[in-house]
Amino acid sequence: MIPKKYVELIWYKALAELKAEAARAYIGFLWWVLEPLLYMSAFYIAFGTGLRRGGVPFLAFLLTGLVPWKWFASTVTNGSNAIQANSALIQQVYIPKYVLPWIVVVVNTIKFSIILGLLIILLSFSGHAAGITWLALPVVIAIQFMVIISIASFFAALVPLFPELKLIVDNGIIVLMFLSGIFFKIDALPPRLAAFLRINPMVEVIESYRDIFLNNAWPEWAGLMWCIILSLVLYTVAGAILRKYDRFYVKLMIG
Amino acid sequence: MSHETVIELQNVGVSYTRRAGLMRGQKFWALHDVSFDLHQGETLGVVGHNGAGKSTLLRLLAGIMAPDRGEVISRTDRVSLLSLQAGFVPHLTGRENAILSGILMGLSRKEVLARMQDIIEFSELGEFIDEAVRTYSSGMRARLGFAVAFQADPDVLLVDEILGVGDAGFREKSALAMKQKIASDKTVVIVTHNPETIIDLCNRIVWIHNGVTHAIGEPRELLRQYQESFRHGGPRGVRLGEPKQVGIV
Repeated sequence: MIPKKYVELIWYKALAELKAEAARAYIGFLWWVLEPLLYMSAFYIAFGTGLRRGGVPFLAFLLTGLVPWKWFASTVTNGSNAIQANSALIQQVYIPKYVLPWIVVVVNTIKFSIILGLLIILLSFSGHAAGITWLALPVVIAIQFMVIISIASFFAALVPLFPELKLIVDNGIIVLMFLSGIFFKIDALPPRLAAFLRINPMVEVIESYRDIFLNNAWPEWAGLMWCIILSLVLYTVAGAILRKYDRFYVKLMIG
Repeated sequence: MSHETVIELQNVGVSYTRRAGLMRGQKFWALHDVSFDLHQGETLGVVGHNGAGKSTLLRLLAGIMAPDRGEVISRTDRVSLLSLQAGFVPHLTGRENAILSGILMGLSRKEVLARMQDIIEFSELGEFIDEAVRTYSSGMRARLGFAVAFQADPDVLLVDEILGVGDAGFREKSALAMKQKIASDKTVVIVTHNPETIIDLCNRIVWIHNGVTHAIGEPRELLRQYQESFRHGGPRGVRLGEPKQVGIV
């Protein structure tokens, strides 16, 4: 459990970063909507019209994959850098280092919730009405949150110790984007390859969103269970590393 | 002043590693062997030539870093380094920055809010408190930074040289406020090069030399010896304070 004073720190720092980001640009927080919108249109143009010509069903398929992916990808990318990004601060005041990836995750979660709202509006216009299985949506979001915080914390803990890992994370995210079933169904692949790709928790997460939004079906609980187990293991390992090097990371930044 | 020990350093050493490629680095010991007790309510001065390891010592006391050898035994977790403008974000207002910086220094949001009026008054910012800090002059920023840091009231305050900040008037006011706080029965560790500060404020001084506690004692006598040491080669001749390179890891 996170002590109350650090919950307060995470929350206030996250809000402060969001406010600062909004204040930096002329159109402020509109960018939180525009940026993912531009990002998604680029993919739609490339894969929806150019390569595949899928029309509306493909658009819905693509967006239900891209929106959760974007939440995952930007958070893991920024989160893995969380300790270095705060190097000046942690030389001035003591902050438990596990707090730093949490701040990144909270910032991105707030941005994601806006985009998710937009996605739901868009889907309802294209004939995907809410059904009973939408009740599973908060559960899927919570599980994705666990996946994100555990992976972000894991890399945040390791990147200061092995700076080269940052490059691996950044490139790994790009590779993973094409292997998470955003652009095609994982099950369209040979079964053994598909089973292998399912190690990646984002495959299950994305399929769960699609089950709910597009098929009015309940998500595959077994797959989500895998996400939970993996998250708990990674978060425990990350927590142990962060605790062990809590007052050591700062020396890497001074030396 | 009681003699209850708040923080105890036992043969503490700290090394930094400069990375020189994959799995290789050069190790520098900034502190070799430092031991002393910090007593409740005292003001302890730290002196030493440049590079003697004084800043590292403060970071160690603040719990920002852990020692590589020896032990730091602390009986309070409310120890903090006086840091001006910690975590300031230029695009937020003065008020928001005060809250953020206060939380970072260990206050709760409520506690910062309760002190907000004092912060605004002390910093003399008036209505500018609700303007973005990015629009402040450097003097205004310094005033806000000081006012917030001054309100964050840890059990043990660590100060790296009391310097007044801001424009002439405020510089005097802030230095005076700081001196009053130190003179009260607060537990303070202060690194300083100013002999007057030592004589006026410190109950004891610790002299760190090449990362080792060279002497601990009564300010007047120790200060005299310390100043004497400058005449024998001092920092301008042999570079006494340079951290020793002890080996390759």
